Order: sequence, then C-alpha cells, then structure tokens
Amino acid sequence: MRISQREKTGGDGWILALLLVVAFILITIYFREGSSGPLRTARQGVQAVLAPVGRVGFAATSPVRSVGAWVSDLGVSRSDLEALRQQNEEMRERLAALEEARQENERLRELVAFVEARELDAVGARVIGKPATLWEGVITIDRGTAQGVKVGMPVLASQGLIGQIVEVAQHSSRVRLITDQRSGVAAILQATRAEGIVNGSIEGDITLDFVSRESTVTVGDVVLTSGMGGVYPKGLLIGEVADVQLSDADLFPRISVRPSADLEGIEEVVVLVGAPVESDVTGGGE
Amino acid sequence: MNRLIPLVTIVVALILQVAIVPYVAIAGIMPNALLLATVTIALVKGPRAGMLSGFATGLLFDLTGTGPIGAAALVFCLVGFIAGSIQESTFSEGWLVPLVVVFFATLTAEVVYALVLAVLGEGGLSVAGVLGLALPAALYNSVLALLVYPWVARFLRSEKPMTTFRRLA
Repeated sequence: MRISQREKTGGDGWILALLLVVAFILITIYFREGSSGPLRTARQGVQAVLAPVGRVGFAATSPVRSVGAWVSDLGVSRSDLEALRQQNEEMRERLAALEEARQENERLRELVAFVEARELDAVGARVIGKPATLWEGVITIDRGTAQGVKVGMPVLASQGLIGQIVEVAQHSSRVRLITDQRSGVAAILQATRAEGIVNGSIEGDITLDFVSRESTVTVGDVVLTSGMGGVYPKGLLIGEVADVQLSDADLFPRISVRPSADLEGIEEVVVLVGAPVESDVTGGGE
Repeated sequence: MNRLIPLVTIVVALILQVAIVPYVAIAGIMPNALLLATVTIALVKGPRAGMLSGFATGLLFDLTGTGPIGAAALVFCLVGFIAGSIQESTFSEGWLVPLVVVFFATLTAEVVYALVLAVLGEGGLSVAGVLGLALPAALYNSVLALLVYPWVARFLRSEKPMTTFRRLA
C-alpha cells in the first residue's frame, strides 16, 4: 500500500500559486508590450532556433505524410463520392466555357500592368513547418526579415490566398492560414459584388459572414479579397461558395466557403512583399 | 543527474512536438507531446515536479505557437499539479491509471486552453471544437501513452530499475 507523501509536499500550494501568478503576469505583459517587447523577442528567438528542427521534421516525415493523407481519405463517404462525380460532370461543361474565357484572358493579360503599378513584388518560399497544435492554423515558411518579409504581408499559393504573416524571424516566418479561428479577410463575391468577411473557425472551416440578406448567393460563386481595410490587395482568389443557408431568424446568410488552395498539402508559397502592410494581427503591438 | 532527466524529457518532447507531431496528424487531430511529457513526469515524480514541468512545457508551447504567452503555462501547470496529486492519492498500479490520467489530462488541458484563449479574445470554444478536436486528441494521446509511458517512466525512474509495465506504472 502506498503512503501519501502530502506531509512532505506542504509547500506545493505556494509554489503553484507563485507559478500561476507568473503566468498571469506573462499574459499581461504579452498584451501590453509592443511588437519588439521581450516576450515577442523571445518567441522570435525560439522560432529561429526551432525552424531548422521543423525543416528536418518536414523532410524526414515525407513517407508518414502520405500515410496520413491516405488514412484521412478513408473517411470519404459515398455521398462525397457522388458529389465528386457530379462535380466532374459540371467540370466538363465548364471546359467548353473555359475556351471562351481563355480568349478573354488574352485581353486581360494587359492588366498585368496593374500588378506592376501596385508593386506587388513576390518572394517565393517553402513551407518548413505545419500547425503543431489543435487550436491554431499556422504554418512556418523559410523566408524572413532577411528576404524583406514583414508582419502583415499576404501569402499566396498558386491556387489563391492562404493567409498572412504573423511572426517574422531572420530566416523564417509564421503564416496564419485563412482557416485559423483568428483570421478575418475582407472579401467580395465576384458575381454580385456583395461584400463580407471570410472568417476561419476552430474546426478549420471558413465562412463568408455579414453578407447582406438581399444579395443573391449561389453555390460556386467565386470569393475574392475586396481590398477593404488595406490588409490584403483587392482581387486575390480565396475560394468558392460551397453552401448557403438562410432562415427567417438569421440576420445574414450562412455561407460556407471552400478554399481554392489546398491548405493541408501546401508546400510552396509566395509572399507579396510589395503589398501594403497593414496587419490585422491581434495581440497588440502591430 | 536525476534532476536533469525531466529536463531531457521535456527537450525531447519539444523536438517531437515541432518536428514530428504535425506530420502524424490524422484528419487534423494531433497528439500533444509536451502535455504527455508533463503528465508522465507528474505521475512518476509527483505534484511538485508535475507543476514545474507543466509550467516549463506550457511556456515552450506558448513560445512555439502564436497565441498569448503564458496561457498554456497556466493550464499545463495546473494539469501537471492535478495529475501528480491523483498519482499520490491512487493505490492502483498498472497500465490503466496512466492511460486514464493522460486521457482526462489532455481533454482538460485542451478545453481549458481553448477557454482561456476565448476569454482573452484570441479564439472561441464550441461543442464541435470539444467533440471534434479535443476528444479525439485526448484519445490519440492516450494511445501514445500506452506506447511510450513505460519507457519514459523507466527513464525518469532510473534509480528504480523495472521491467514490466505493471511495475513501471
């Protein structure tokens, strides 16, 4: 039979109280300090030290990632399969329409000057770290202040917007994905020009909120950044409407958005270093 | 030397958390190696070591993430203390106690951490978040505990050589 050792640990309560007070003080300092405060500086130091570790892990776990994706795909239901078939049919129809769009695209190429005029210079980066906790959608990339990356800059994959820089070290940065629950992107529906906010969630889904009830929203509508607020340049592709629900009790329609970029399998990104840097990063300082 | 062993355990857990854990996620559910280390240390060394290691692993968790620094230190410290206290008050030995303690410790820590983030205005907590993320993560950590607890406990109890899971636990 084990004999309790409480007699020996009588001071534990005091130590616990002390540690809890220290934790509260740290939280208070975090919210009151600026972007170059001691805690954020310490975090940047830890990030700089651990970035190579994450890079090694990314390379070493390549076979495991394939297995993980395979296990995840086992959950695809019959209804999902049916939906994919239907989507395939629709894609064939769209293919014909795309030829028309291609010719239009030729004309639109002239608008490339638009990008140059706004100095949307981009820096390519590799993803070297995936989200390491349940509650945040943050990846690490291998570009930092040495390459001109700053907090607040938008990050894109080839398929569209994926997020925004939230932490920067000399040779690495952290990108908050648009699926993160703290992410919010001013957005616009391409077809109707209705404006709203694309918000992330705990579950990693994204929704388009605060769109007027009067707006007509249909599944498949393309969602773009609106440029409002100056955080993201206008016209970046976010995704398309996956589901719309509107009941009499709702002030706004509930619009689910399917991100155009594959946020889980992403390996290369570009950082818009020429974009206006007006961060919506919370936590003070920025 | 014995004082360094929990430190080594925490450093190894940190490396695993950063380098391996993100890539063994199943459908977005991932274990928490730092929390697993905290609970293991608490179960082997008692509440004082549990809360001290919990504070350290929580602080590392905060520094490697993007949330408020101090939030996880607060939660892990409490969880380490409670896990150590449970170990002190439990007469049962074997594989079931660490398994159950790791499950409830992970569930509690993840939910309370999300709650702290919500209170601080850095996130939200929903039933879907608890059922869809925290609960599966607790199960994942429990399965991992089944695999690694005997070996980590042996490492931490190097002064008491043991050979079976029952004796280790």
